[in-house]
Amino acid sequence: MLVQSIVLGLIGVFCIMDSRLLGRLNFERPLITCTLVGLALGDLKTGLAVGASMELISMGLVNIGGAVPPDMNMAAIITSAFAITTSATIETALAIAMPIAVLGQFIGVIGRTVLGTLTHVADRAIEQGNFKKAYSMHIVWGTIIYALLYFVPIFLAIYIGTDAVEAIVNVIPAWLTAGLNLATKFLTAYGLALLLSVMLTRDLTIYFFLGFFLVVYLGLDITAIAIFACILALILNSVKFKKGAAAADGPAPADDYDPLEDDDL
Amino acid sequence: MKNESNFKKFWQFFWRSWAIQASWNYERQMNMGFLYGIVPTLDRIYPDNNDPLQVAYKKEAYNRHMAFYNCTPQTSAFTLGLAASMEEEYAANRDTFNPDSINAVKTSLMGPLSGVGDSFFQGTIKVIAFGLGVSLAQQGSVLGPILAMLISFFPSAIITWFAGKLGYTMGSKYLNKLQGGLMDQVMFVCGIVGLMVVGGMAANMIGLVTPIQFASSGLVLQDILDTILPGMLNLAAALGLYTLIKKNISTTWLLVICIVGGVIFNALGILA
Repeated sequence: MLVQSIVLGLIGVFCIMDSRLLGRLNFERPLITCTLVGLALGDLKTGLAVGASMELISMGLVNIGGAVPPDMNMAAIITSAFAITTSATIETALAIAMPIAVLGQFIGVIGRTVLGTLTHVADRAIEQGNFKKAYSMHIVWGTIIYALLYFVPIFLAIYIGTDAVEAIVNVIPAWLTAGLNLATKFLTAYGLALLLSVMLTRDLTIYFFLGFFLVVYLGLDITAIAIFACILALILNSVKFKKGAAAADGPAPADDYDPLEDDDL
Repeated sequence: MKNESNFKKFWQFFWRSWAIQASWNYERQMNMGFLYGIVPTLDRIYPDNNDPLQVAYKKEAYNRHMAFYNCTPQTSAFTLGLAASMEEEYAANRDTFNPDSINAVKTSLMGPLSGVGDSFFQGTIKVIAFGLGVSLAQQGSVLGPILAMLISFFPSAIITWFAGKLGYTMGSKYLNKLQGGLMDQVMFVCGIVGLMVVGGMAANMIGLVTPIQFASSGLVLQDILDTILPGMLNLAAALGLYTLIKKNISTTWLLVICIVGGVIFNALGILA
């Protein structure tokens, strides 16, 4: 159990470092980390299944700017471990994930407040001409604090919490399990609704419906939708932003549009 | 300027942009991250720590980059490259170059670059990568997460690299272009692709059905709904929750609503 807890804590460190040191390559996402947990604990199948469900729920929870949403990334690691090491079903595990995520959110808020004090240390170091100390506040101390913010809660949750979760799971009645199964579907809908709330604008609403109806009526899968969406978007882009149209709109200088720009997409 | 030394600079812009969030804090967000990014440039310009004048200039420059900053890491490389070239210009023309313009440019770029960066990486790349990844993982294939990682990695690496390079070599020229139509185009294309994929996911990943049957006539309600509009319940659930989000109900409450709602609707036998 001790070794397992340490390994999972380290997966947590990998998860948080993705956004701290690797510019957020999405390696922090539940689909990836739960798969790693599955590999580490020898149950890849459950890892994948929990990862897929957690991913759908949390895909819309973006931490952009100052807002820290419930920490589904941390919850995903802990939850997938519970789903593998205890008799919790995937649905039960997902329900357990929610309070963990909210707790993780609190830890994140406290951590980011504490990190604010490093800024003052760096300010003083610059004043004293101690330049190396100033930027080590970022790359050394910032990194260490974030790593601990993930390692410690995950380690403790697995090391102490597993038995408690097992005990809780054993008393969950069947009607609740069935209810939680439905709840995960609502949560998936919620995850997608969150994505919509970030992306949807009046002009673009029809494309959401286009994607929806292409699936329900033509039975296309997500790969096909993604491919057709890219092609359609590029076609529409060349129609909407072609030279003549831009000139007609007035303010935008037509010289700004050249064929090379498409390469940036 | 030699190409070899430029390569080293581009590499620094690249890696240090990725590492910009290592000390993300509530007070000034990515301030120390940006400082860390521009440190090699400043140390190159002011190498002599025994010359009081250079040290004074260096302190001033370090302080300048401790200001509030927040931007998507990948696109932030552009600002870093541009700021680095401006610092070099300032050091070369101390009398004519106004150093305030450096932070002014940083501040003016972080909004638009975050907008375009977030909609591209969070709104489009992530949705495509994980839409595909989840659909494969649900079939039990480990290719799902692997594919999601690959699709996420390459656009991020390529854009960070070229953003830093362009910012440094021709930043001021591209500045006009960014503020022109390019931003709108990227947002437009990303919006369409992202929304179509989310629409597709709403159709085949939620999976709500109703178990209601009318015993007297033998009618299955779900069959009737499917003839009217397949996936109607999924669409209703997604749009209903979207409405609640738009009413600014907090995330935590919505999670509670989903879980309690699931238990209640299931117990009543309305949905499954």
